[in-house]
Amino acid sequence: MLLLLIILLPLAGFVYLGLAGKHLREPLPGIIASALTGASFLLVVALSLGGGAAWEIKDWLPGIPFSLVLDPLSSYMGLVVTGIGFLIHVYAIGYMHGDEGFSRFFAYLNLFIAMMMTLVLAGSYPVMFIGWEGVGLASFLLIGFWYTEKKNADSARKAFIVNRIGDLGFLLGMALLYSLFGTLSIAELREALEASHVLPLSLGLAGFLLFVGAVGKSAQVPLMVWLPDAMAGPTPVSALIHAATMVTAGVYLIARSSFLYVNLQDVSYFIAVIGILTAAYGALSALGQWDIKKIVAYSTISQLGYMFMAVGVGAYWIALFHVMTHAFYKALLFLASGSVIHALGGEQDVRKMGGLKKYLPRTHLHGLAGALSLAGFPLLAGFWSKDAIITATLNYPFGGTGFYIAGLSVAFLTAIYAMRWYALVFLGEYKGDAHPHEAPPVMTIPNDILALGAVFAGFLALPKPFWNLIEPYLAPALAHVEVHHMSLGLEWGLITLSAVVALAGLYLGYLAFTRWALPKWYLTFQTWSENAFYVDLAYNAVIVTPLKELAYIWSLLDGALDTFYVYVAGVSGWLGERLTRVQTGYVRAYGALMVFGLVAMLVWGVLR
Amino acid sequence: MSAFDLIAGVLLVASALAAVTLKNAVHAGLALVGNFLVLAMVYFALEAQFLGWIQIIVYAGAVMVLFLFVIMLLYDAKADVGVDRLRWMRPVGAALAAVFFLALAYAFSGVGPVNPLADVKLAGGLPGPLGKLLYGLWLYIVLLIAVLLFVATVSAVVLVQPQTRKARVKPQVSERDRELEEVGK
Amino acid sequence: MSYYLLLSALLFAIGLYGVLSRRTAILIFMSIELMLNAANLALVAFARGSGNLEGQAMALVVIALAAAEVAVGLGIIVAVFRARSSTSVDDLAELRG
Repeated sequence: MLLLLIILLPLAGFVYLGLAGKHLREPLPGIIASALTGASFLLVVALSLGGGAAWEIKDWLPGIPFSLVLDPLSSYMGLVVTGIGFLIHVYAIGYMHGDEGFSRFFAYLNLFIAMMMTLVLAGSYPVMFIGWEGVGLASFLLIGFWYTEKKNADSARKAFIVNRIGDLGFLLGMALLYSLFGTLSIAELREALEASHVLPLSLGLAGFLLFVGAVGKSAQVPLMVWLPDAMAGPTPVSALIHAATMVTAGVYLIARSSFLYVNLQDVSYFIAVIGILTAAYGALSALGQWDIKKIVAYSTISQLGYMFMAVGVGAYWIALFHVMTHAFYKALLFLASGSVIHALGGEQDVRKMGGLKKYLPRTHLHGLAGALSLAGFPLLAGFWSKDAIITATLNYPFGGTGFYIAGLSVAFLTAIYAMRWYALVFLGEYKGDAHPHEAPPVMTIPNDILALGAVFAGFLALPKPFWNLIEPYLAPALAHVEVHHMSLGLEWGLITLSAVVALAGLYLGYLAFTRWALPKWYLTFQTWSENAFYVDLAYNAVIVTPLKELAYIWSLLDGALDTFYVYVAGVSGWLGERLTRVQTGYVRAYGALMVFGLVAMLVWGVLR
Repeated sequence: MSAFDLIAGVLLVASALAAVTLKNAVHAGLALVGNFLVLAMVYFALEAQFLGWIQIIVYAGAVMVLFLFVIMLLYDAKADVGVDRLRWMRPVGAALAAVFFLALAYAFSGVGPVNPLADVKLAGGLPGPLGKLLYGLWLYIVLLIAVLLFVATVSAVVLVQPQTRKARVKPQVSERDRELEEVGK
Repeated sequence: MSYYLLLSALLFAIGLYGVLSRRTAILIFMSIELMLNAANLALVAFARGSGNLEGQAMALVVIALAAAEVAVGLGIIVAVFRARSSTSVDDLAELRG
């Protein structure tokens, strides 16, 4: 029952704040929401220390129980979600200060936490799907939080519609799994899979469809277009939903289903390819952005690509390790961006920033920690997890070296754009005309904690010969993958190599964006990158516009049909109007008609 | 066909025509009484003595008295005055009635007595045999008729009960006028 | 006996004409009584023709039925008269299209 409480607490917050929030004075809704999320976090901690828990309603749907499970994997993920979620809730109390929809915002945030925890704790796919759709809804509501502007509402719809494509995949995958095994409970599926020697042929399709769901939710190529637009929401939303938690749900789904994917080499290979493509695309697009949040958004896409590459090559625990470190430093980057935006009174263009190191010393430190962690500066959290992923690709039997080189190159790019972000925002001279002021403590303290995480979280799982706490903890919940360990010397050599690459990238970025005049070819690239390689344009041309045209054609047909029916209705209306004349209201006239009928029948009967 | 039949037929038709054409409702009612009395005679002739007496007592007596009573009560003696809004109804009604009669007459023309008249044994239609039939084979029908009469009596009383509460059935026309007036204000 | 049947048909037709041509509710009612009696005449004539008492029994039932009908019908007429101050059925023409 306590397990259920993890979900019910934030859900109660959502209901209460949604119904009564308007009558509460400003900080109160935020405090309630934060407290409930914090309580959820403590519950997860307590239950994890108690060794996990499970809860289910037997006959929720015929043959499908409603089951919640707290095993190492879900407790790990749940800690990230509620922990980071709690910090972001607290931060949002300051960030949303004075906003009209203050209580509405926290109601939505609590809804998100509730749904995300449903997703995480789900013991069967349908339950996970509830959470999956629920976080989609919360994401939609929060992206369009300032819905009075058309752009924001459009972004929300875009996110929802693109996600729908993925959700359809998830749904079909579930259906296929159910038809193959007759159960959707994850534990039972795992048993069934491990017991069967011959795998059904369509299992690959099922895995692929589930992956399509993950692609939508985690903004992988080709469904990545919604995530940058999702930045229309308030910054804490971007941090919580579109960086730290929801978008990693896809990774979580694959990790949850690792027992399935471990048997599907081809699908896994596909996942890895999609992952590295996404990583490259995100990194290249991040380079040209001018919006402080969009840089971070594309970087999120890129980092998610890394995670998918990791699950693709079978390094499930490393993907989750990266989920955690990424949650720390990406939430930190977003919240630092939020502080900057807050300080500049809503300015998001990095060309009007610069030199903020002087004005925002605390936020500058947060930004520096986040950017360096993202760039993979040696010994920071991002360094360890990203290096672990890149190294893991080398063990991948199918083209591991290619993945390794690509991953390393993207890491180099990552370092460059991370430095670009940092340099444009904090270094140089201030180019705007606002009066920057440091954020209140309610915003900086959560950032302090996140910064600590971004710097030190990597020490939870170090390469050999040092300690590794995460892999053994997660091992029981993940599929077992045979890894032949490389020699210590080679491994540390590779670590040094990636450290050198990251440092080189940082240095190059520093030089390029503070000292050099940029060459012409770079400016061309810049334009392409700024527009994210015109993917939106291409999608519009290939998919959206033809569909709109088709819809227009149908609407014409529809109009013709409508006209036809309007005329039919008109004719019967006219006829009815004529016929009402028969109803004169005179009883005698009715009597005459009755008698007429009687006589007619009589005559017919007599003469027959 | 005897003289009685002829005279009865002429009287019946004449009184019936009077009943449906006379302008004065009391006259029409009296013509109907006459019609019923002649009909009672015909019943006697057709070996239906009990029925004839019932016809006199119930119809010519009770029912028609009720009719006349209501006519008097409602000051309705001068009936069917003023403009007829359905002037075409008279010829149409006459035509329909004529067609109806002709069709029925055509149908009846082929009907003859089932038993030769000599063999007929109706025992004069006296109450004894009729009672045996009614309280034997027709018992349930008699009971149902009894229930029906009871219900009719109760409903008649309820219908004409003076409105003790606020009048539910008000003259709708004046109601409408008052509403219009209120709107006009 | 077919004479009386014809007579009954004629009486019925006259009643029918009365129902259609009369405008006062009470007079219409009287015409209906005429029609009922015409039917009774036919029943009695049939009884005579077939030598079976059942026709007369049926006529008796019709008379009882007519009595009940008169009670209710006159009650309605009185109620309508109270509401409308009129017994003309043409005045009751609100329910029209």
